[in-house]
Amino acid sequence: MKVFLAFARQSFHSIAIYRFDFWLRVSTVLILMYSIRWVWVALYTQRPGAFGASLEQMITYGVLSMAIENLFYSFGVQYYMSQQVRSGAIDVDLLKPLDFHFHMLARNTGQMLFRLFIMILPAILCGYLFFGLRPPATPLAGFQFALALFIGYLVGFHLEFLLGSIALVTLDIHSIDWAFNALLRFFSGQLVPIWLFPGPLGTLASLLPFRALFATPLSIYTGLLNGEAIINAVGLQLFWLAALVLLSRWFWNRIQARIISQGG
Amino acid sequence: MIQVEHLTKEYKRVIRREGFLGSVRTLFSAQYETIPAVNDISFRIDEGELVGYIGPNGAGKSTSIKMLCGILVPTSGRIEVNGLIPHKERMKNTRQIGAVFGQKTQLWWDVPVIESLRLFRDIYKVPEAQYKHNLNLFNDLLDLHEFQNTPVRQLSLGQRLRADMAAALLHNPRLLFLDEPMIGVDVVAKERLRNFIQEINRDQKVTILLTTHDMVDIEKVCSRIMIIDHGHIVYDGSLAQIRNQYGKQRKLVVEFEEAVPDFSEPNAALVKSEGRKKWFAFNRFETSPSTLIANISSRYPILDLAVEEPEIEEIVRTIYQGKPGNARENGT
Repeated sequence: MKVFLAFARQSFHSIAIYRFDFWLRVSTVLILMYSIRWVWVALYTQRPGAFGASLEQMITYGVLSMAIENLFYSFGVQYYMSQQVRSGAIDVDLLKPLDFHFHMLARNTGQMLFRLFIMILPAILCGYLFFGLRPPATPLAGFQFALALFIGYLVGFHLEFLLGSIALVTLDIHSIDWAFNALLRFFSGQLVPIWLFPGPLGTLASLLPFRALFATPLSIYTGLLNGEAIINAVGLQLFWLAALVLLSRWFWNRIQARIISQGG
Repeated sequence: MIQVEHLTKEYKRVIRREGFLGSVRTLFSAQYETIPAVNDISFRIDEGELVGYIGPNGAGKSTSIKMLCGILVPTSGRIEVNGLIPHKERMKNTRQIGAVFGQKTQLWWDVPVIESLRLFRDIYKVPEAQYKHNLNLFNDLLDLHEFQNTPVRQLSLGQRLRADMAAALLHNPRLLFLDEPMIGVDVVAKERLRNFIQEINRDQKVTILLTTHDMVDIEKVCSRIMIIDHGHIVYDGSLAQIRNQYGKQRKLVVEFEEAVPDFSEPNAALVKSEGRKKWFAFNRFETSPSTLIANISSRYPILDLAVEEPEIEEIVRTIYQGKPGNARENGT
């Protein structure tokens, strides 16, 4: 745990350096929150009652999904892995008495905690003040949302870790990452809630791991999921988390074996 | 401390075929060639030694160090570092060693030096008292406080290496690997790092393996040297011994009272002539300097003279060039 906090502390030191990145992200999120709100208002004016939720719920869903954007999209571990292996600096990572997967998790989580306090919580506050974001349906739903969001974060991390591992084999990170982000934005329910997807597309979206990131926590927050449905959704998140952890460790061990037999 | 027996490392490389069709074929059936980087080397380093490990580029120095660190798996042979087999117990091994690679930093690029050291403290679980003690020590020896709040990417090379040394020693490793730790550093900073290396070896009894291209490092710092070339260890012994063994040739520098024409002696060849000074090379086992001086002074009056020992650099050059000959017969 100390290592996680140590990495978070480091991120605070980087802020002074990446001021531009910080303000760009913050202003983008504000614009996105503003836009999504007006998109739903416009759609509801045209077709009230066509979206399976009240306008307030939909605005809350949309604004919150933009506010938590920086929990997931961080150009994080997959780029770090590709850069370290290409430059040979992976040697230095392996020289530390840390399991590489754990090291990356600590590093990424440290940075996430930093973004949580410096970007995400302020964005949520702005959502309440200016963009019509409502408090959680019930206090319990708020707690369940936080838990589901954290599991969602872990699922997201492992997807990126796997992506980074695959990129070490294909030697190309950018195109893979682009495809991944496109799929993620769509199938996670960040832009369009997945209950609006028609037939087979909806089934696909509900089976893929991506919904663990946005759809599950947001549906809990807005009260669209209740009781047993929450348990099922979180259960599916946990299933994917377990599967991805195992897959990540298996895949990475193979890659590490290759790195230390080939010399990077 | 370190025991290496018949260690071999071969790299597999894909043989590239020429042209477009060749590249396509490589996609489906690749042919490999094996390149030996380290070829059947054996050595032993005892606790408290400070060993220089030298050899030309590509000789296998870094490959051996990586294997000792456990981040590269040997093809065959045995390594034991303080009782551990590095690549099998990588994480355990990294706790007992420290390493500095001159070409790569272990520190985090964007954060101040002191923050990097704090993270090292947390990763290696260094107790607070030991952390403070070591930090004070590094302040004394490396003047760390001068730049401890500067981000690593803004440090000069000399400062960065000082910070890297501090990071590598924070957890009190018994063993330190230094892979070209002074490459590109200016004379003053070099001297400082050399003193530091000697001090921690002497005062803290840290065993050190140092690779370098700078023979001055070797002469000033190391008590023992190992020379590796083409994956083989071609010499392992003390500095004095290498001089005896390979440095058969001495040079006599004579300054005459006035300019004299070039001449040569039966047992000494004239190698250089400059103004009133002349350099004669002779084999010290065949010719004694006193006979030579007597012979020369009988020809012309001498103003001053000196006998030059061979530079260690020159000896190493002859070894690299594969002409160890003129000394091998004296036995190893």
